[in-house]
Amino acid sequence: MRELLAVEGALTPLSSKTHITYQLYIPEGIDVLEIEFAYDPKTLDDKEASKPLIEEAIRKYVDPALQGVYSRQWDKFHPLQNLLTLSVDDPHGFRGSAHRHPNHQRHILSLHAASPGFFAGQVGEGVWKVTISVHCVVTQECRYRLRIGEGGESHEMASV
Amino acid sequence: MKWLPFELHTHTPHSDGTHTLLEMCRKAKELGLSGIALTDHNTTSGMVDAASVTEETGIAVIPGLEWTTFYGHMLTLGVPYSEWRDLGPTDIHKGIDRVHEQGGIVGIAHPFSLGSPICTGCHWEYAVQDWNQIDYMEVWHETLPPMRNHNAPAFETWTRLLNEGYRISGTAGRDWHRTSDEDDPPAFTYLGLKHENGLPGTEDVVDAIRSGRICVSMGSLLELQITCGEDRYGLGEVIDVKSAGAEASCELKLQVIPSAHPGSQTGSNDPGRIIIIETNAGEMLRRPVNEGTDEIRYSFSPEGLKWMRIRLSGMLNGALTTLAFTNPIYFEGAAS
Repeated sequence: MRELLAVEGALTPLSSKTHITYQLYIPEGIDVLEIEFAYDPKTLDDKEASKPLIEEAIRKYVDPALQGVYSRQWDKFHPLQNLLTLSVDDPHGFRGSAHRHPNHQRHILSLHAASPGFFAGQVGEGVWKVTISVHCVVTQECRYRLRIGEGGESHEMASV
Repeated sequence: MKWLPFELHTHTPHSDGTHTLLEMCRKAKELGLSGIALTDHNTTSGMVDAASVTEETGIAVIPGLEWTTFYGHMLTLGVPYSEWRDLGPTDIHKGIDRVHEQGGIVGIAHPFSLGSPICTGCHWEYAVQDWNQIDYMEVWHETLPPMRNHNAPAFETWTRLLNEGYRISGTAGRDWHRTSDEDDPPAFTYLGLKHENGLPGTEDVVDAIRSGRICVSMGSLLELQITCGEDRYGLGEVIDVKSAGAEASCELKLQVIPSAHPGSQTGSNDPGRIIIIETNAGEMLRRPVNEGTDEIRYSFSPEGLKWMRIRLSGMLNGALTTLAFTNPIYFEGAAS
């Protein structure tokens, strides 16, 4: 198992609506690329902390005539969620993305198969980009971990 | 013209949908749909199964994508992935150009859904400098769309843009992520397809949406034709009033065709159906209608008209609501 990238970082609500891109050189001779990505926590469980955030969104996005109705049912939107998504560019361009909600994911890319969201094809030598799109961070801190390595023999198309 | 029902907004496990393309298309067939647009979030990788799924189910699968960005969700149809990660809230036209240059079309998805932090990007917040570049707008979103709160401002915004002279198509999109037995009834987006034979292809579907040959409905199909001078016009077409003659009088002919689709929740014998002719100048006519049997004919002057649309009102789940609406027929050169 050859490790090619292992990074982690901490995000705050101010990180929302930003992209974090890692550019890395993938050497020749890799058949299967494996990407592990995780972030925690997933939800803002503190109900009192989420109430003003939800109320603000209701004021901003709901027709004034209906704001009262929505505000009375604000807890239907609880818990708010952190959402980070992953996308990959190989040296030739876009190679797929995994826009989904689970906060622990594992993706595999190879010549003949790829995890859902990604395109199968050669794991070509050159500079690749892996982008974390930070759609929303609602918790005071959200830590992510990204690990890229040469995949094993199992070719398991896992994507949780 | 062949009118076929499509579902234009769908997801599979290639993004956050729970049913596979095959499972979804089997269900689409049960509902009576002819095709779907596959619009997974930020990827088109799900199209890898499309040919075999179409062969098995007979459901056409059109390549699309839902641009799931921080400032809005934009549906793109007929093109592969186009880059969005470098665009800020004032850059939408740069993104739209990328889709148009490849021959695709763009549509605003659920423009009035709740935005961040409830659903980042779900509310349309891009600054649109030129509405002529927006090909369509999803004015009915989710199942049972006429009864969803966020669809009311979407429909009003569409109408306001039509009044301002923009020719934007109006569509429905279920935003189909999963299927269960308790699902509310969906709407059907009937597309007017020029090729009458075989399954419609991507270009046929893109052309029908771009051209506004669309009737959106909870069941029945509204068939409309306008005769002006010597010529006949259908949905999405532009009537040049000057060439029709200075004293032009137009006549419309309209029928409500009962739904042949098992997914439809509106029965053809329900009472209280009313046809409403809407224009930029306001409502022109309201008349009770019997599905299948009545043919409504109505003569009018095109003076002051920019567009005309038909709406069918009636009972749905015990409430009076809009059951169907057409896209407009447009008028050009009319004195106002």
